[in-house]
Amino acid sequence: MTVSAPQGMSGSNGNGALDRIPGPVMMARGVHKSFGQVRALIDATFQVDEGETVAIVGDNGAGKSTLVKILTGAIQPDTGSLELDGTEVSFRTTRDSLQLGVTAVYQNLALADNMTVAENVFLGRVPTRWLRVDRRRMEKESAELLDSLAINVPDVRARTALLSGGQRQAVAIARAFRSGRRLMILDEPTAALGVQEGQKVLDIIEGLKGQRVSIIVVSHNLDHVFRVADRIVVMRGGRIVGSRRKEETTTDDIVHLIVGTRN
Amino acid sequence: MVDSNQAQASEGPARVRRGLIRYRQLWALLIAVLLLWTYLSFASPYFMTVQNLTNIALQSSVVGIMAVGFTILLIGGEIDLAIGSTQALAGTMAALLIIQREMPIWAGVLIVLGMGLIVGNVNGYFSLFTKVPSFIVTLAMLGVLQGLAFVMTSGQTIGGFPEAFKVLGHGKVGVIPLPVIIFFAVTVVVQMVLSHTRYGVELYATGGNREAAELVGISVRRVLMLAFIASSMLCTLAGLVLSARLNAGHGSFGSESLLDAVAAVIIGGTSLNGGAGNTFGTLLGIILISTIKNGLILLGVDPFWQQVAVGALILAAVLVDKTIKGELAPGDLLPRLVRR
Repeated sequence: MTVSAPQGMSGSNGNGALDRIPGPVMMARGVHKSFGQVRALIDATFQVDEGETVAIVGDNGAGKSTLVKILTGAIQPDTGSLELDGTEVSFRTTRDSLQLGVTAVYQNLALADNMTVAENVFLGRVPTRWLRVDRRRMEKESAELLDSLAINVPDVRARTALLSGGQRQAVAIARAFRSGRRLMILDEPTAALGVQEGQKVLDIIEGLKGQRVSIIVVSHNLDHVFRVADRIVVMRGGRIVGSRRKEETTTDDIVHLIVGTRN
Repeated sequence: MVDSNQAQASEGPARVRRGLIRYRQLWALLIAVLLLWTYLSFASPYFMTVQNLTNIALQSSVVGIMAVGFTILLIGGEIDLAIGSTQALAGTMAALLIIQREMPIWAGVLIVLGMGLIVGNVNGYFSLFTKVPSFIVTLAMLGVLQGLAFVMTSGQTIGGFPEAFKVLGHGKVGVIPLPVIIFFAVTVVVQMVLSHTRYGVELYATGGNREAAELVGISVRRVLMLAFIASSMLCTLAGLVLSARLNAGHGSFGSESLLDAVAAVIIGGTSLNGGAGNTFGTLLGIILISTIKNGLILLGVDPFWQQVAVGALILAAVLVDKTIKGELAPGDLLPRLVRR
């Protein structure tokens, strides 16, 4: 990972996080990415502001996943740059982005089903005391965190395999919230859920907005997008073809942008 | 205050209940072992003797040490088929260095342990960095290490260790043989690491969902490399103990123990898919296998039936495991066979 602060701007504060300055939390400038002959992302310029929830929508193959993976360091762009809080960053792995408070919740990849809720919430950052895992602290803080996000699970010591799809997604979001205070990326957070469970997850996302977290939501469900997003970014054929504030657009407008009948 | 006391009072039974449910496979295994012991103690007057029980414990120890290493790796979702040949090479090297080359015991043991370290690194490197499945890598290493063990000694048995080395296989603490103590200590220490350290949590997470573990920043390669090394080092320790017990080294010593070790781990409840298991299950698994083998001998059954019994036990354990997890309904198997 490299972090280079432009002159007069902020840098790392020594605790892994960057000093906050007003303006966009995450900025991607002119990002290109190709896989062989396929141009997955073309000149993508994109930003998320402090406390803003941005939805990225688009058809399959539009470039949404590629953009999200670049923002988290899962893959690297061919050209272009990323800035976090005004500081240019280069993520070589997801661990790099995690250290700077950028986390993602991927559909179906989020949890280790064989582990407890508390272990999953702390996965990757398990607290220890005299080299011993501090389970009591993990369980206490997990319960507090889930409470604060109004997430209901029967017991933080229960295995996540025993939870419903909605509860599992909620636990994954709680973990991302715990380690990604600067930017959370939710990839299709309601895709595999029933109506009621999907609504509960949307409630949680709205609760996060109340805590001034910057969020990117990738979704195919425009009803859900319109419920939680402040701004909607539309991608088509690897390009960002539109960005609309929610109150200034309609579902029809967004659909036209997605299918390419309006620019 | 009253609420707090009530909560504490209800927490005790709840904890016991959780323990019973979580470790139900261990309890079932323990009951199976006890039932078998009860049956054999009635079926043969020689079974419940100190000498016979000591034999079972000794037979369990060497394979058990290897099986604990195999447990670690399987929890992480990887496999090491070269455990038997690593053990055989360790015993052969110990004999070659300490008996034939007359090296000091400590130097011979250190070199053998170094060999274990190298084997673990090679297994780990090719499995994790070249993306060749560990099943293939360690199958190849099985041949390489077994061959090396025979090449080193030209297929000859080298015997006659110094008394100080033989203590490793023949020593006793009170009435308990040293190999049994080593096995028990390895079982306890490894399980403590798995249950109570950050490494243990990361290993279970890696075995349970490798992609999720990577995405939360766990260094999966580091976690699994350590598991490969631990497995090889424990096989090396088992090889040293076996050669001390037999007072000799040979390329074939212990090479057939792969089947028993794998059976013990699977019977002990370690998931073939990774992410679940513990060394106490493995301990009970190897005791069950050793008891069955011992019982067959005492009952006068042809010794060749032992392998059949262990193989059948592996199959039964996998079917029971799948049934417990709900992946297989108890009535599924027969109707399918009949339909076909």
